[in-house]
Amino acid sequence: MDGRVVQSVLSPAAAEAAHIAWLYWLMFGVTSAVFVAVIGAVALALWRSHGARDVDRARSDQRMTVAVAVASAATVLILAVLLGASIVTGRAVQPADADNMVTIRLTGYQWWWDVEYDAVVPADRIRTANELHLPEGRTARLLLDSGDVIHSFWPPNLAGKIDLIPGRRNVLHLTPTRRGLFRAQCAEFCGVQHAHMAMDITVESVDEFAAWLTRQRSAPPAPTTSVAQQGRAIVEKGACALCHRVAGTAAGGRTGPDLSHVASRRTIGAGTLPNDRASLAAWIDNPHEFKPGNRMPPSTLAPDDRDAVVAYLETLQ
Amino acid sequence: MCLPLVDGANGSRGPNMTLLWIAAATLSAAVLSSAACSDRPGASSEAPSSSARSLNGALTWPEADAADDGPWVMAAKNYRSTRYSGLDEINLQNVSRLRVAWTFSTGVVAGHEAAPLVIGSTMYLVSPFPNLVFALDLSQPGAPMKWRYDPRPLSAAKGVACCDAVNRGAAYWNNLIIFNTLDNRTIALDAATGVPRWETPLGDISLGESMTMAPLVVKEKVLVGNSGGEFGVRGWLAGLDAATGRLLWRAYSTGPDSDVLIGPSFRPFYPSDRGKDLGVSTWPADAWKIGGGGAWGWLSYDPQLNLVYYGTANPGPWNPDQRPGDNKWTSGVFARNPDTGEAHWFYQWSPHDLFDHDGVNENILLELNASGTTRPVLVRPERNGYMYVLDRRTGEVLSATPFAHITSSHGVDLTTGRLIVNPQKTPVRGRVVRDICPSAPGAKDWQPASFSPRTGWLYVPHNNLCMDFESVDVSYIAGTPYVGANVVYRPGPGGHQGNLTAWDPVAARAVWSINERYPAWSGTVATAGDLVFYGTMEGWFKAVNARTGEIVWQFKTGSGIIGQPVSYRGPDGHQYIAVFSGVGGWPGAVVVNDLDTRDATAAAGWGLTMAPLQRETRRGGTLYVFTVEGS
Amino acid sequence: MARPIGLITSLACTGAVCLVTFSCEREARRFPAPGQVGPRVEAVRLTSLSAGGSRPTGRERSPFQENAYGISEGKRLFSAFNCNGCHANGGGGIGPALMDAAWIYGHGPDQIFTSIVQGRPDGMPSFAERLTDEQVWQLVAYIQSLSAQTTRDAAAGRTDDLAPMPPDLRLERLSPRQTGHR
Repeated sequence: MDGRVVQSVLSPAAAEAAHIAWLYWLMFGVTSAVFVAVIGAVALALWRSHGARDVDRARSDQRMTVAVAVASAATVLILAVLLGASIVTGRAVQPADADNMVTIRLTGYQWWWDVEYDAVVPADRIRTANELHLPEGRTARLLLDSGDVIHSFWPPNLAGKIDLIPGRRNVLHLTPTRRGLFRAQCAEFCGVQHAHMAMDITVESVDEFAAWLTRQRSAPPAPTTSVAQQGRAIVEKGACALCHRVAGTAAGGRTGPDLSHVASRRTIGAGTLPNDRASLAAWIDNPHEFKPGNRMPPSTLAPDDRDAVVAYLETLQ
Repeated sequence: MCLPLVDGANGSRGPNMTLLWIAAATLSAAVLSSAACSDRPGASSEAPSSSARSLNGALTWPEADAADDGPWVMAAKNYRSTRYSGLDEINLQNVSRLRVAWTFSTGVVAGHEAAPLVIGSTMYLVSPFPNLVFALDLSQPGAPMKWRYDPRPLSAAKGVACCDAVNRGAAYWNNLIIFNTLDNRTIALDAATGVPRWETPLGDISLGESMTMAPLVVKEKVLVGNSGGEFGVRGWLAGLDAATGRLLWRAYSTGPDSDVLIGPSFRPFYPSDRGKDLGVSTWPADAWKIGGGGAWGWLSYDPQLNLVYYGTANPGPWNPDQRPGDNKWTSGVFARNPDTGEAHWFYQWSPHDLFDHDGVNENILLELNASGTTRPVLVRPERNGYMYVLDRRTGEVLSATPFAHITSSHGVDLTTGRLIVNPQKTPVRGRVVRDICPSAPGAKDWQPASFSPRTGWLYVPHNNLCMDFESVDVSYIAGTPYVGANVVYRPGPGGHQGNLTAWDPVAARAVWSINERYPAWSGTVATAGDLVFYGTMEGWFKAVNARTGEIVWQFKTGSGIIGQPVSYRGPDGHQYIAVFSGVGGWPGAVVVNDLDTRDATAAAGWGLTMAPLQRETRRGGTLYVFTVEGS
Repeated sequence: MARPIGLITSLACTGAVCLVTFSCEREARRFPAPGQVGPRVEAVRLTSLSAGGSRPTGRERSPFQENAYGISEGKRLFSAFNCNGCHANGGGGIGPALMDAAWIYGHGPDQIFTSIVQGRPDGMPSFAERLTDEQVWQLVAYIQSLSAQTTRDAAAGRTDDLAPMPPDLRLERLSPRQTGHR
């Protein structure tokens, strides 16, 4: 949707991803060299087989033995190097406690991500959905869990993939080193809308991150226009509140994504549609047009009411 | 049941009714008798508890203000909540001749938890929903009805009553009978005529609120609190003008200090309770608004210190992951000035409560005499399984001793006052954590204990239950339950579900204990005749020798007993014992609502253990009044 | 030898057709769409007694009665909307049991539908305008599956983490009756 969003293992933006990319390049380089060597050996063999007619069998056998021994030794050596490199990389991406970590609870649901930022003071915790904001240079500690089936969190630019398993908490550490907007994706088939289970990851400066946290902590301002006020009443008294939460209102559902600051997000439907007025209206009318089989039912709101809800959602900055 | 052992010192002290104070067993006697008692429930605790400690000195009860033991004017008998009657006409010698004097059917078949009140020659009863109030004329044979009042509560209120639509009784003040309705009204009736004098609406069932507690009148103020910790309410205690019903103050259990009525006079003993707006900062954003902490339990009052003591209920939802933080001021005890509602101190039994351990049980106010000085203390059999002794001036924990089987915690840190939780029993979302003891109904739920100054012991009806607990995500939907847990209760060690335990709070040990098949869900009353009365969920009403634990008399009533027995002197000058028989309450809901016990999680976890009770008793709603034959 | 092979082939084909036909409904996965879902529920009677003599009941069925996905969705919604807070996993608590044979306000799918939508005066909250018809019908199908009133092979998966009761597939098929009281 947005050309600036990057999703690539080869463009690492975190210390952990850099280790993985280094391993990737090492393996690519070594295996390329092996490939070239093997092809070269085959070519040489084909070329040589035409010339050599009188063969000293004993000498040939001896040479063959040496060649096989050398090739085996080289193979073992190369594999040992790659194994060593894998171990080094594996250790480098192991969760290790760092100073001043950002702890985030990430829970996978069919088919969206629930995100909760820990805080020393419980009241400073925030909940959002389908987006992560990470400060550059600080280690983020992700506690991964699932609310239904097995999912897998894969932010290629930042870290390797790790499964979200019901009843078991996995931990992933990543330390972003470069600012930018990155994309993560569910990497374990989790149902019909597995493909539409993406997430935005914004790596920003420490100050920008602090400002974002502050905005998320405050309850959204009460709507000022009458149409938005009407929208809020519909959200609270209608079907929305049974599944969604909006901070500071009677809507306290946890079945669907937290909408407290939905207007500040880039996409809706876990990366399915851009977050603009037309998409919101179309999504509310019938989410199954864009994400068939997802768990939000088509709305029965009259167009005016639906527009009021959209107007209200747009105030949730 | 263990064999009781009475040491000579205790026996020789005997009843001294004029002074009305009796010393408790000494520590040496405690060691002796505990050696003889192999079935102490406290002894089975696996957790080493550093906080289990005996106290120096002896408990006393110096006042003679309870000299008039004829009437029974408040559910807990007196402001100290001792539930002790100085009447001794019914005693160990003649208890075998105890017979039914008369009965009265309320016509309501649900859990009858209320304590009858006796004022003058009239008895006042409150039924469970629909909260009918009856006045019975005790001066006439058969106690005919003087009047009846029907407050007509909304039937929808039954949908927000977590654990059967019970009511725990009325209060009496200045010719007014004051009671709460399930749909959140406090009503004062003229005691002579039953005509309503005032009515104050205090809550909203559409927000999950209900009222089930027995009000307490202190200094012309009616103190009432709400229920609904399983419905995402915001708990409060309110003070009403007893003459007019006008709301004077309302102290919330969560939220900013101004709402909790925390001001300059608030001096909690432990540093963890100090700080600004902890009722907001110890919750995730907004969670305090739906955080529970009702005040549906018991109130006690100390006129000297002018402080009222009451517990706050569990935080909501049960799933602790949805409310990280200490969740102030839930599952704790407040000391407040009843005039203004201002908080003086607070102590939290279960910070960040993990298992629905409401902190609303009774606080029994006693004096501890040690080396010439008297220390006012508060004794609390708490739901988390510890018997606490607190200095009621400051809220300092003097001792906290397990009185039931505990696996969920390792004791109480007496330096910080904090419960030391067992991380292995901490709920994790989506995982079943097994063998958590005590269970959600706790080592002891609402069922009030009594204290006899003649023995110096508490008579504690309690539970012996463990549970499997699975926490799950839950949405807050106003007017629907806000729980987030699948639970199943199981009997604790020994296979029985309930106990009546005589507890020596000074020596910090159980003296004797009677095993009950089902939770001992009724209250108890101790009398000067050295008897303790209680009822069982099968329907037996029992009299126990207060010193030995021997069952000296029992009678099978029409339904299970979960009411509070009382003792009074009738207009004829004779002693009577009265108790409601009508099964219900949280465990009894399995019988009242004819639940399908193939589902072990029925009634929030009682399906498994209460299934046999469906074949042993049925719904009922009858008051039984007993007296000694020929009196 | 040609005839037995032909017979076997035609039998196999018939079997396959039967299998496909009868498992179709169980496996069907219809994505929600705006508009009417399920039968329109009107003039539901809460009693089997009619003035002027009995009338045909004409009870509507849930469109998910035999649909595995619909019933499992009903099971998910049952806890998402806190139904389990009162009715537990079917055994009841604050509210009546739903897996037994005794029904206060009727056990017909349309009666259950209206109980959810309208609420009931003894404490059942109304979910009118909170749920879509499709969600209510899924709930109806799940609630009926608790007492094995739906197609057995479409019943929802077992709750096996706490295992509070026998697997849904092993539940006894009861004869529901309207008792009118708890």
